[in-house]
Formats: sequence, C-alpha cells, structure tokens
Amino acid sequence: MKSCRLLIITLGLLLSGLGIAAESERQAYDDRYCTTCHGTDGKGNEGVQAPRLAGMEQWYLERQLNNFRAGLRGVHPQDIEGIAMRDMATQLSDDSIADIIAWVASWKYVAAEETIEGNANAGRQLYATCATCHGNDGEGNAALGAPALAGQNDWYLVTQLKNFKAGYRGNLPEDGYGQQMRLMAQTLVDEQRILNVVSYINTLTGDR
Amino acid sequence: MAEFVSRREFLNLLAATGGTAAALKAGAALGLLPGGVAAAALDLVNPGTAGRRVAILGSGISGLTAAYELGKAGYDCTVLEASHRAGGRIFTVRHGDLIDEIGNRQYCEFEDEPHMYFNAGAARIPSTHRNLLHYCKELGVELEVFVGENNNAYLQDDSLLDGKPIRSNDYKTNVRGFLAEMLAKSMSSEEIDQPFTETEAEQLLGMLREFGDLSEGDLYRGSLRTGYASGGFLTHGVQKDMLAFRDLLTGRVGRNALAGFEGDYGPMLMQPTGGMDKIIAGYTRVLGNRMNYRAMVTAVQITEDGVDVAYDQDGVRHTLQADYCFNCIPTHLMVGIEHNFPADYVKAMKYVQRGRAYKAAFQARERFWEKDDIYGGISWMNNRSAQIWYPFHGIHKARGVVLGAYDYGGGMNHTEMNQAERIESHLQDGEKIHPNYRNLVEKPITIAWHRMNHMLGCSARWSRNFRTGWTHDEEALYRTLQAPVNGRHYFIGDQISMHSAWQESAIMSAQWALANLDERVRAKSA
Repeated sequence: MKSCRLLIITLGLLLSGLGIAAESERQAYDDRYCTTCHGTDGKGNEGVQAPRLAGMEQWYLERQLNNFRAGLRGVHPQDIEGIAMRDMATQLSDDSIADIIAWVASWKYVAAEETIEGNANAGRQLYATCATCHGNDGEGNAALGAPALAGQNDWYLVTQLKNFKAGYRGNLPEDGYGQQMRLMAQTLVDEQRILNVVSYINTLTGDR
Repeated sequence: MAEFVSRREFLNLLAATGGTAAALKAGAALGLLPGGVAAAALDLVNPGTAGRRVAILGSGISGLTAAYELGKAGYDCTVLEASHRAGGRIFTVRHGDLIDEIGNRQYCEFEDEPHMYFNAGAARIPSTHRNLLHYCKELGVELEVFVGENNNAYLQDDSLLDGKPIRSNDYKTNVRGFLAEMLAKSMSSEEIDQPFTETEAEQLLGMLREFGDLSEGDLYRGSLRTGYASGGFLTHGVQKDMLAFRDLLTGRVGRNALAGFEGDYGPMLMQPTGGMDKIIAGYTRVLGNRMNYRAMVTAVQITEDGVDVAYDQDGVRHTLQADYCFNCIPTHLMVGIEHNFPADYVKAMKYVQRGRAYKAAFQARERFWEKDDIYGGISWMNNRSAQIWYPFHGIHKARGVVLGAYDYGGGMNHTEMNQAERIESHLQDGEKIHPNYRNLVEKPITIAWHRMNHMLGCSARWSRNFRTGWTHDEEALYRTLQAPVNGRHYFIGDQISMHSAWQESAIMSAQWALANLDERVRAKSA
C-alpha cells in the first residue's frame, strides 16, 4: 500500500512537470489535500464554504472531480469556491482521483448541523419536484445520477441552488446532469423558496 | 454575610494581585495602557507538577512565543504544526523550498546563495514593535536595516504622464514645491495671517520655503533636490526641468509616494539578516523536539479540567491530553475541525474573513535596478502587481531576488489565475517600469495566501468596512474570541488583534493570553 502511494506521488509529480530534482531531497506531499478545506474527516467547513464529503456517493464524487478537472464545473467567474476547487482538481491524475475517492470512503457519515432558517412545511411541497430524482427521503438515486441531499451542509445546498439558477453551474452542454439541474432550479423563483426547500431537506434522513 | 479573611486567603489575594500586576505589565505592551515602557518581559510562575501540560496548535509566531514563554516557566509544551515547516505566514522562500499552494505546488529554483531569498509573508520590522524586537534580541536574531522608501524608486500609472515611470523623488519634490508655493501665496491674505502673530507667520513662511525649496518671491521653480539633469560634480549641476503640477494630479499611484511610507511602514524598518524566518529558527532552536510537523489537528475538545486534542500524523490519529491549549490555527479552518466550543465563540469564528494578500518574486539574471541607481526600496504601480521590491541585501552581487508583485489584498486577481497567467501579468506590469524586465527575470515564485495549504488566507479581516472601521458588534465578537473558554482554551495570533498582519500583534495576543493564564495560576497555587 505504501509503495502504491509512493508510486502515485511520483507519478503525480512527473505528470505535473514538477519532477525536477530527486524527490527524496524534497518535502513532497501527496494529493490528499481535501481536509484542509473540507474539514476533519470531510465533514465540511462553513468557514471556507467547502461542503461535507464524508458519506458522499463514490460515483458522484468521481463525476464531480472529473467535471472540475475537465472544466465543466468551477469555470464561471462568479463560482468563487468552484474556481478554487477546479484549480485543485486540474492537478489530479486518474490514480490520485481513485486514491482520494477511496480515502473519502473511509470517513464516517455524520449529518451536517443546521445553519439556515426557512419554512420547512412550505419547502415540503417544493421538494416534490426534487424527490423524483433525489428520492423521497433525500437518499439519492445512482441510476438517475442524482446524489443524496440529506445530511449535506444546508448553506452549501443554498449556494449550489443559487449557482444553478444563475447559470454559474450547469451552464455547459457537456454537463448534462448540471443542465438538467439548472432547469429544475428555475422553479425556485426567489431566495425564500430556496431557503424553504433546503429547510425541508434538513428534516430528511436519507434512509440512514 | 460578612466573612473573615483567613491568613491563607489573604496570601492568595496577594498572589492574585501579583498576577494582576503582571497582567498590567503585559497590558501596557498590548497598547491598553499608555506606552513609554519597555517591552513586557513576561515572568510566568512555575505551575508546579499538576496543570503543566500545554498543547500549542499551530507554529505561527504567536504559538511559538507561547511555547517559548511557557517552556521557560516550566510548562510541558507540545507544538502541533500541520505543514512541513514552522512559522505560518513568516515564510522565507529560498532554493529548494516547497510552496505548498493547493492546486499549484511549486519548488523554488533560486540559486543556492544566502542572499537569494524573499520574504513571502511578514517582511518588515518597525522600530516601535518592541515585543518582536525583544524576542529578536533574546533569541540572538541578527537584524539589518530594511530599505522601504527609496527616492530613486519609481511610480508608474497609465494615467500619469502618459504612463511614463517617474522617480519618486521627482514626484515628491515637485508636489511639495507647488503646495508650498500655493500656501506661501495665501499667507499674504489676512484670513490666514489672523491666527498667527507676526513672528509666527514669518516662521511659518520660513517653514514653507524649506518644505518646498521655494525660490525668490516664494515661487517654486524646480529644485536640485531631484538630482541633476547633468553635471554636478566636476561641472556645475544642471537642474532638471520642473514638472507641471496639473500633470501630477492624475492617477492615484503618486499618492503612495506621499502616504505609503508612513506609520508602521515608515523608516526606520528592520529585517533579520538572511530572511525573516531566522526569527522562527530562533524559537525552534530552543523548542527542539517540542515541535511536531505534519501533525494536523482533527479535534479540540474542552473538558472540565483540560483540553483533549486529536491530530493526524503519518497516517495515524493521535490524542494529546493537555491542561491548557493555545490555538493559532486560523479561525476559518478551526470551523471545519471537530470541536465543542460554545455557540458565541463559533459565531465569532465564522465572522472573521480571510485575507487575500498575494506576492510573487523572480530571480533576476542581473541586478538591473542597481544600474538604474536603485539600491533597495519599493516602486509603486497602478496595476494588479502593485509593487516591485528591490533587494538591498546582496548589493553588487551577481544576481538577486526581486519581488515582482505585492497585492496586499484588494481582490483575488492573481489568486484565481493559473501560474502561467500570473507570471505573464507580472511581466507585463513590470516592463512598464523596466523595459527589458521580461528578459531580466526568471524562475518565478507566486504566493497566493488564500490558497496556501493549512492556511487558506492571509491576515484576518474583522472589520467589514475599511473606511468606517470596527462596529461595536465586531468589537464584541473580537472580545468573545479573545477570552478563554473554560479558562482552558485560548485563541491567539494576529487574528486575535485589532492590527492584524503584523508579527507584533501576534506576539502581543500570545502575551495577553499568557498573562491571563498566569494570573489565574498564581491565584490558585498560592
């Protein structure tokens, strides 16, 4: 395992054009940077607006990392945190992505704390549309490519709904799922409705 | 109900008073009391056998100061540092160093020479930062003079003199001359004369003539203070042409020549010989194996009688039980680390915004600034790179490291560019002052503090409004975060000061916390 990690590190450095001198002389890091931004065991960090990763579906994580790396996400100038994530992701090799996904899978899912105030009852009706793909309990649906929503940081869901709505995310034709989500976000016509639907999502347990 | 004070309690009170005195002494250094006293020499009491374990989270200069002082007093300190190096934003970049920016890892390729470095974070020590100077002295850190203001450095602004760079000296001398002439002319009016006696008015006029180097008739006709257009040594010096005042009014960059080297930025400044991190090396030499690197804190739990800290090192999760904890981890990172802090504390942690300062530097193939009569100092530009710093260390050596950009935090301009875009931006900006700049510099290094691993920000921003300053609410949040939790956990660092971005503030925040702890330890142990 250790030699595998070393191989990944060496490969990563070579690929990124940094393999200039003998690596042993240098204080090399691997690509496991995630927790600096995403918090202890990937539980999310509101302080730098980085969402919870722990418990995130591996297929969804892989798709998003690939999207960031390919420039399908984090390219709009208004997507401030997305830009930071994209700059990180462009450095990742396929092996690094595989390593990160395995690492994230080792973290225990813990539902994020509630930080927003909205009308969950009003949000319940709005959520009916979301439930078609994301499931009645916010558990997600891999077959439809829809990630779980339950337990995710509410401030992050609010930001992403706003980003989808404004076209900061899901604006590129190659990002089919994002485009679909962008369309659905239009049904939330104002900020209050966004807060309401996310407040309702806060009540869901995702079948856990 | 009135109670008799026992002899024992009386002694406790005395001890507590002693602690208060110590706190007051530190208070003076913290600027809470009138100054005029030397730097506070903390005299912490030995805690005895119980209650002496301290966890220091982060090895910024506040954490190191805390560990150093506590160690001297007999505490048992453990410093946990997440990155591979100590010092936080006190970071000197030289040959072989890793710049651990998330998404843009770099290694420094500067020549391996003692003068080939730049200070990527803290870079100046003002003469009035007594506490920092105190530690430099105590730790044997050799200091040299820092050149900030240089009359021969340039000002460049596309809207000033058609973008042609102007020497700071030419700008200042002409502006002073014109201002002095205008004031001197108005001196004759009775309104201005009125508040002064005849003698005072005469003295003021004399002052203005000196200030602006006025000619006969109190007119400004140019000045030899700008240096000679030609001659001056073996032949008579020829005075430079006077500039048109109207032409100097445009653009903002000139004002930096008038205001950019005042207060904390004014002479006389210092720096450690060989790099700012010599201060850090001074601390870590003393602290030795108390230092733990690549030890990333994952949890801070305050218990009834201490603080439990968890951290990851070498792929293993460790725990550290301490009686006290001094924490200089940036508050915005601490939000994402497991903790059981009270709600008002967390609210304050979330309020603080991350600084966005950015620097970049090049190795210069030759010291081209010296051929242009520039030996150190700072040129100002009205563009995103903002400043060029010329090294004054290594004068007349073959090469030097020139700072090609210092954006002190107006925006994310360069941070959001990739490395190639950043470098091209600095080259384009710099060649407006130095025409051949592009070919004179190489081996670029960029430092986007907002992206640096284990930091994700430059100095903390408390006030949302730079012009109006701190609100009462902001002050209350600040006091909340400064106060210890359960008497066990202290936040420290320049983030817990009203003057962030200075080492002095970081040290004084640590001293405040140490004095606060010491007062209670004295009261308890007496």
